[in-house]
Amino acid sequence: MFEELLEDIAQKNGLREVNTYLKITAGFGSIFLCLLSSSFIPPLIIAITLSGAILFLARVDAKTYAELFIVPIWFAVMSVAGIILISGGPDIFWKWNILPQISLSVTRQSLNQGIFVFCRVIGGMSALCFIALTTPMTDIFIVFRKCRVPEIVIDLMMIIYRTIFILMDQVVQIYHAQVMRLGYSTVKESIHSCASLCGAAFIASWNAGEDLIMAMDARCYSGKFALLGENHPVEPKPLIALAVFLSFVTAIVILSENSTII
Amino acid sequence: MHIMEGFLPWQWCLVWWIIALPCLLLGIYRLKKVLGVDREALPLLGVTGGFIFILSSLKLPSVTGSCSHPTGTGLSTISFGPWITAVVCAIVLLFQSLFLAHGGLSVLGANIVSMGIVGPLVGYGVYRLLRDTSLNMYMTVFLVTALADMFTYVTTSLELALAYPAETGGFVSSFILFMGIFAITQVPLAIVEGIVLALVFKYIVALKPDILIRLGIFSEEKIKDARSEI
Repeated sequence: MFEELLEDIAQKNGLREVNTYLKITAGFGSIFLCLLSSSFIPPLIIAITLSGAILFLARVDAKTYAELFIVPIWFAVMSVAGIILISGGPDIFWKWNILPQISLSVTRQSLNQGIFVFCRVIGGMSALCFIALTTPMTDIFIVFRKCRVPEIVIDLMMIIYRTIFILMDQVVQIYHAQVMRLGYSTVKESIHSCASLCGAAFIASWNAGEDLIMAMDARCYSGKFALLGENHPVEPKPLIALAVFLSFVTAIVILSENSTII
Repeated sequence: MHIMEGFLPWQWCLVWWIIALPCLLLGIYRLKKVLGVDREALPLLGVTGGFIFILSSLKLPSVTGSCSHPTGTGLSTISFGPWITAVVCAIVLLFQSLFLAHGGLSVLGANIVSMGIVGPLVGYGVYRLLRDTSLNMYMTVFLVTALADMFTYVTTSLELALAYPAETGGFVSSFILFMGIFAITQVPLAIVEGIVLALVFKYIVALKPDILIRLGIFSEEKIKDARSEI
């Protein structure tokens, strides 16, 4: 029910010591190039390279990494199937007119479009996972503060971040207790158990909030959290690797313009 | 389920960001105003965010057996109003993409519009409409949550249909198709989420009604009536 939070993995990954800006540039740069590309090739190259970096450099467990893709791929397959059926094109392989206004067809162009979107999702997801698995949230807060995100939003973020871990522990305990008492054996039981779990979580989070106010008052909270944290210096090796990777993919984006698979 | 990374073309990512940003700025402005009056609201808002995150990582029993989850925005929108909910939602969506690989960064704007703006706005409208009527409190919570959830997915379908219109029938037929795909899982899910949150409300009324009175969600008499029924 509760998959290991990516944050836990990020705190102890192999690339933890690399400069945060380099990692974020790699992630965002890849997402950007994926979106700019008009062919399925650059997203695939991004997916392969970043997955390699996640598995071998950051040393993330391959099974955990693969499991992250199950839900997005399920969603992607459904939606891409929709896109293939509706987008149409001149080279028709199959066509079905359900209603005068609505017809479904599979064409060369729609298949290409579908494959392209699917590859872009895979590329984008691996770039997202790269940031999520290598950069802990605490490092990202520091970047936010440097980027002048309003104080109030950063404070709110840090409180939400803290609360998630407090609540997660309680919810997991209650959930296991419910499962042991066959709380999820039938649909009706599940709805009741789920509701009492959520209710308990809400009351617990409220209490945690009240405790937090008291604790912060006791420590003279003045409306701004102190945020400590050092950024690791930029080292030449990762910098060169990043520059080579991004310029290589940019070149592929330009060269492979509009190329299709069929 | 949110739109995931890489699914929308960059033009549409940009459009949804442009729509989401003014709403977020309004939310931040409201947030500052609320905190100016009542400083204690910040930790409470924080825990609400934590609560939304936890709710959306729970998997609800869904009729089709898919792994759908509640959006959890219903409770926040009736407690703090839609604009502040938009800011909290934006943060929760960012955490979801970075903690659970759920959603994405370039499509964050689109997800904020569907889950953080349209859903809560509809929910809040329903709540304001029904708050002072004689309708049962739990029924109100059920309708707010179910409709907020439903409209979140209608907006998601709209976003997908605008980005990928059909060749024949254009935007409209593609909208119908995406709605059809979502309806299979989301209509039962919205109903289940409505029931669950109405029950959550019942627990809160039974165990800690002072929360509801302090936030001014329902009048004291209404809560007293509800307590006497239990």
